[in-house]
Amino acid sequence: MKRKTSPIIPVVTWIIILAALAPVLWMLLISFKQRVDIISFSVLFKPTLENYKTVFQKYDFLRFILNSTIVVVATTAISVFLGTLAAYGLARFQFKKKESLAFGILSLRMLPPMAVVIPFFIMARYTHLLDTQLLLIIVYLGFNIPFTIWMMRGFIEDVSLSIEESAWLDGCTRLEGFCKVVFPSIFPGLAATSIFCFIQSWNEFALAFFLTSFNSRTVPTIVNSFISVLGVLWGEMAAVGVVSILPIVIFTMFVQKYLVKGLTMGAIKG
Amino acid sequence: MLFKQREYLKYLLPALIVLALINIFPTFFLYIISLTNYDISQRVEDLSFVGLENYRYLFSIDKDFWKSIYITLTYTFVSVTVELVLGSAIALLFDANTRFRKLKLSLFIIPMIATPSIIALMWKLILNAEYGVLNTFLRWMGCAGRNWLSTDFALVSLILIDIWQWTPYVTLMIYSGLQTVPQEPLEAADVDGASWFQKLVWIVLPHISTIVSITLLLKLIENLKSFDIVYNLTQGGPGNATELLSLHVFRLGFKQTHWLGRASACAVILLLIIIPIVSNLAKKISYSRESA
Repeated sequence: MKRKTSPIIPVVTWIIILAALAPVLWMLLISFKQRVDIISFSVLFKPTLENYKTVFQKYDFLRFILNSTIVVVATTAISVFLGTLAAYGLARFQFKKKESLAFGILSLRMLPPMAVVIPFFIMARYTHLLDTQLLLIIVYLGFNIPFTIWMMRGFIEDVSLSIEESAWLDGCTRLEGFCKVVFPSIFPGLAATSIFCFIQSWNEFALAFFLTSFNSRTVPTIVNSFISVLGVLWGEMAAVGVVSILPIVIFTMFVQKYLVKGLTMGAIKG
Repeated sequence: MLFKQREYLKYLLPALIVLALINIFPTFFLYIISLTNYDISQRVEDLSFVGLENYRYLFSIDKDFWKSIYITLTYTFVSVTVELVLGSAIALLFDANTRFRKLKLSLFIIPMIATPSIIALMWKLILNAEYGVLNTFLRWMGCAGRNWLSTDFALVSLILIDIWQWTPYVTLMIYSGLQTVPQEPLEAADVDGASWFQKLVWIVLPHISTIVSITLLLKLIENLKSFDIVYNLTQGGPGNATELLSLHVFRLGFKQTHWLGRASACAVILLLIIIPIVSNLAKKISYSRESA
């Protein structure tokens, strides 16, 4: 809805954006500060990379990153594969109770982490899976698969069925038709969906916190390492924050076009 | 053969089996545990069923449970309301000025996508009463500083952080809704001399009502589920000033007492609060899919 724009509007918009970013920028600033400078508010200080060095050397941050990466990549790959398959079934076949099934799947995405953590904790204890990467990979499938099914269903429905049917007439099987006709068209959607799974799993805290203790800790759970008897080690904390948020910000830039779709599980085209 | 007649099963079954094992079965298991006296130190073989005893405990003995329901609802309704109003206003602002709109949107949504547990600790530093930057800023502006994480203000701080984090989400959704508003009726209204506000109420709002209600319902669910920020900021404290339902589950099951049975009962209540919202959401989404 356009109307005559006054020059004040862009200024106000940028002020709002700056206010929204202020805490993150503050963190960026602190990550380069020495311990003595942190509680002063001066923007002028001698920048140091000490905090970054400490988190990698003393706190083994690399291991957290590695754990996170393994968990996130595996759970994303499995979810996208199983999810796309199921999405194809929902998009291309008609059957009784299809919509109820689809919404049943969607509702699984809404399970609160604190509700599933107790049964998972008990079951993992009995199968000796506590504190393994495998456990987190499995648990994360729980919210990633419903998400990919809904996202990919939308993308597949956007591919016209008649093109696919003409491929079948040319003698392609369903699988060949899928690979030749559907896959190239849904590829951007597939990439976006993977990135969303990546972001969700990368940021997940509650499940990782309760289901791992030492060996498989992921990046979001590192926060507890910096709470010591001397108080919180803010500089190190901020350095971890910057390193953790950076890939997410970059990835989000790639999927900007699909953000609304991703946030509503494909319900709204955006 | 089953797969000949029902070919769709071939595609759906793998995902459905996995989901049944890792979502439906654990949820079912949660209901069962909520009927037992299971304790974290116990072996599963030793547990015994106590019927609805855990629920009776929550409802009639555990005063903190009612308080956490109250806190959860206050937190949810206050932050969602403010976010909706503020987010929509900012969306209109973004819509009024389209220069650098991609850049502006991607910068604006950073609070929403940043790792919540880490963000929570950053806020802990910012809100620190003695050396936090917020109080310093307030004093510089001539206002009095506050003890942001004290019993009186912790919930307010939590709501403020939620508003900071999620207003961009509402803005993004409403903004994208605004892009789908057809131009012809707006132009016709201009010809008829309608004011900006009249156009907003009579043309724009009806058009984006579905996206607004989906945004609202998703946000309600998100707030009822929230754990990361609260846990890392206050752990539900001081005392139980910010103990949301999921934090109460945590306290019953993992922190103070190890009553997984009672914690499960509390988690079931949380589920029961969320379920009607989810089914409402399902209706809205299917409506939006049909009209698309």
